[in-house]
Amino acid sequence: MLAMTTMTPDLDIPGSQSTPAIQSHWQAGRLAMQGDSYPENSYELFDQVIAWVRRFLETERRPLRLELALVYLNTSSVKAMMDIFDLLEDAHEKGRAVSVEWRYDPRNERIAELADEFREDCSYPFAIVPAAAPA
Amino acid sequence: MNKRDEEALLERVAMLLEDPSHAGHPLQDALQALYRQYRAQQEQLERLISISDRYQQLALEARQVTQKRYERVLRRQQKLSRISDGYQAMMRERNQALRQASTHDPLTQLANRRLIDERLREHDATRRGYTLVLLDIDHFKTINDRHGHDVGDRLLVAIAATMREELRDYDLCGRWGGEEFVLLLADTAVSEAWEIVERLRRRVAAVCIAAGRRRLSVTLSAGLSEHFAGEAPDETLQRADQALLQAKRDGRNRSLTAPPPS
Repeated sequence: MLAMTTMTPDLDIPGSQSTPAIQSHWQAGRLAMQGDSYPENSYELFDQVIAWVRRFLETERRPLRLELALVYLNTSSVKAMMDIFDLLEDAHEKGRAVSVEWRYDPRNERIAELADEFREDCSYPFAIVPAAAPA
Repeated sequence: MNKRDEEALLERVAMLLEDPSHAGHPLQDALQALYRQYRAQQEQLERLISISDRYQQLALEARQVTQKRYERVLRRQQKLSRISDGYQAMMRERNQALRQASTHDPLTQLANRRLIDERLREHDATRRGYTLVLLDIDHFKTINDRHGHDVGDRLLVAIAATMREELRDYDLCGRWGGEEFVLLLADTAVSEAWEIVERLRRRVAAVCIAAGRRRLSVTLSAGLSEHFAGEAPDETLQRADQALLQAKRDGRNRSLTAPPPS
């Protein structure tokens, strides 16, 4: 149990109408987020996500993969996502293997356009993939 | 004095100092001291200039770094605004689509009952006059039974399109039920409404749709009622409905105006 305390615990946050579902898998090097994001306190929500990403990139040498199926984002959520993508970019510039896969419902092309705007400054693999909406 | 003249002068002085024939001359010693003093000062000045240049360079680089950082923050801010605006636009579109879906009939894209009720309440609140018309497709059930709902639906869509073309921008045309339509003609007396409805019925009767090898067309029956001041919209509707019922009983393919409320 003592050894466990040095590990960053994984996130498993259920989604709500205004917050995305978030799951992190330290062992698999994977972080996934799905749904709408316009939380009342987005800093509280995203700080732990950003902290997890930062911690993973600092502690591990393994690749990190983001699997996103985000739909609507309010401004502070957009900012949080930009912060996360910047962390990945910094890591990538230092030679780390990082990647993003953003899935969107093909009935809503706007999502793909916005994901593409996010991708603009990212030099790591960033795929925007049409896929059925998550259940 | 420029650099070259200065160097020429110094060389001349150095040569004079080295000339053995001047050795022991009382000025030689003083000039030697002056020459050394000058050289030392020159060296110091050059060092000073070089240090100053380096400081300037550093300040310039610092400014460039600040500028770069500022531009980066600005670019980030712009990106944030751009993406955020994009999401807002998406939300607005989604709201519009929802509003459209909640106020219109998905098959014919005509107004649905909700929108018509809303508009009736508005007219009531602003005491705006109007004539209501209920229209019903004659023998529509027979068409559905004989040719299937697909043909019936196509007929409804074609009739709806014709009605939309025929009406004024401020008239509201809605699908009231299965094969029943409603017209809300604002600021229109029943006599004027009658002309509109008769023209509309003629246009609709000319609409033809293909059903297999046959071509189908239908007629409309209509009931008109002009809203009277103080009358509840429901009553105006009820009178139009009564008039429509009577038009059907009288043999269909006709319009009938409801008598004023009793």
